[in-house]
Amino acid sequence: MNGIIPMVYRQIKRFVNARSRLVMTIVQPILWLVFFGLGMSRAFSFPGASVMFGGLSYLSFLASGMVAMTIIVGSFMSGVSVIWDKQFGFLKETLVAPAPRAQIILGRALGDALVINLQAMIILALVYLIAPGLRIEGVVPVVLYGIVLSLGFASLGIALSVRLSSMEGFQMIVNLITQPLLFMSGIFFPLSTMPDWMRIIAYLNPATYAVDGMRYWLTGVSAFNPMEDVALLLVLTAVLLFLGVRSFEKATIED
Amino acid sequence: MSEAIVVENLVKKFKDITAVDQVSFQVKQGEIYGLLGPNGAGKTTTIHILTTLLRPTSGKVFVAGYDVVTSPGEVRKRIGIVFQDPSIDNQLTAYDNMYIHGRLYGLSGEELKRKIYQLLDFVDLKPYANKLVRYFSGGMRRRLEIARSLLHEPDILFLDEPTIGLDPQTRVKIWDYIMAIKKEHGMTIFLTTHYMDEADQLCERIAIMDHGQIKAQGTPEQLKSLLGNEIVYVKLDGNTTSPPCIESDYVESCKQVSRDTLQLVVKNAATAMPRIFEAASSKGLKIIEVSYRRPTLNEVFIYLTGRELRDSLEEGGFRPPHRRW
Repeated sequence: MNGIIPMVYRQIKRFVNARSRLVMTIVQPILWLVFFGLGMSRAFSFPGASVMFGGLSYLSFLASGMVAMTIIVGSFMSGVSVIWDKQFGFLKETLVAPAPRAQIILGRALGDALVINLQAMIILALVYLIAPGLRIEGVVPVVLYGIVLSLGFASLGIALSVRLSSMEGFQMIVNLITQPLLFMSGIFFPLSTMPDWMRIIAYLNPATYAVDGMRYWLTGVSAFNPMEDVALLLVLTAVLLFLGVRSFEKATIED
Repeated sequence: MSEAIVVENLVKKFKDITAVDQVSFQVKQGEIYGLLGPNGAGKTTTIHILTTLLRPTSGKVFVAGYDVVTSPGEVRKRIGIVFQDPSIDNQLTAYDNMYIHGRLYGLSGEELKRKIYQLLDFVDLKPYANKLVRYFSGGMRRRLEIARSLLHEPDILFLDEPTIGLDPQTRVKIWDYIMAIKKEHGMTIFLTTHYMDEADQLCERIAIMDHGQIKAQGTPEQLKSLLGNEIVYVKLDGNTTSPPCIESDYVESCKQVSRDTLQLVVKNAATAMPRIFEAASSKGLKIIEVSYRRPTLNEVFIYLTGRELRDSLEEGGFRPPHRRW
């Protein structure tokens, strides 16, 4: 535990010391929900439209995916921010420490997961206000899904950032990876409406199963069996965690 | 075990650039050992290999008795490092930076807390314990890094350019801390620097490094004695296009250091000077200025590498040293 606890402590302390970042992460989903969600729900108000969304109104459909969206973007960005640690030197401090690197990076991902899920809770509260009729008992499972999802995307970010050396690519990488994964996760439109090639990617995207699972607990509607969601989310997250840990263990300061 | 660090034929290549080329040296337990050389000589690369951050291309490196390649974990437990570039988290307080470091090295509880305050006190940062590092000056950050590197009581302390970019008062203060660490803990200290005065003041033994190679090593006195006892600078009339060197039995070496200035290494400047005047006038050369001094590490460096030990950006002609008449 020598590596996990101090890194969790660090990520939480950093968050507490820079609370303005909280605003940044929760603004994006709110914008989507309000401007996109309210607008599109009008477009999908024709009779029979709700069949596409498993019987949900479009607003409820979208709202039930917003928590996952907050988590995906937030965790991936926090993972990629290992580049900042590289730039500002703190990475070296962790690389020369005797604590196992796997623990250090798991601690970092876990710390970020806790911080981001706190932000996601704020979004969840707003979602309950905007989209009526969501199940209140969904809160606990949503948080559990959220932490697993967060670990996966933080690891993916870490794996990428260990290989990157420049800060210039930071924002581009974040957008280039998160945007397509968000669209291919069932947050904005169901998998059944996707072109085949897109659906194949969506099946490999861990976010798909977190979104579907969360939607199940919030609305009672889901595309997959909730048990399948859990199993696939866990498996795909484990793969990403493995990638993240491995790339961090191999990290040197070569470039 | 009396050797804290053993380096044998160390080579590090980055693609086609050889940063460290067949370097070998040993550092004894409890000594302050300095790696002196200009920027880009390979000092930082060497320190990164010694601290397990880079893998050597070839060669053997043992730190605190362990191979840095096969047992980096054992090495990491026993060393403390102050990097050339800051490696503290600006968005945390001084205390939190220390606390995280302590936890990463397996310390915890009251003992950790006591040590943190004790070390912050040592570097005069106790009043700033709960301030964000973001607001610290460069000197304060360096002091915090020194305190942090001592937290887990390492056997060997690595300092990469510990006073680079600091003002003169802060430099002296950092030197005091280094001497105090050595005195109080008997720690082995390995430092790199491109300041000759720093190496001269602090180090018991020095290796001079240039272009990835070690040119010479020994105590500062031994290195200076490579040049004989004293150095005489002779400035000749500007009309002489290329002053011939004065060769004689009392001159150990003679070198033209600028267009009109000769550097002569002699055993005894007082007796050599009249003979230098004689030799010059017999060759029809007019001496317009003479100065002499005991060799410095800078001259040792010039002697060994043929160029000055200072940043290449720092342009300027050769400045004759003090004590002129």
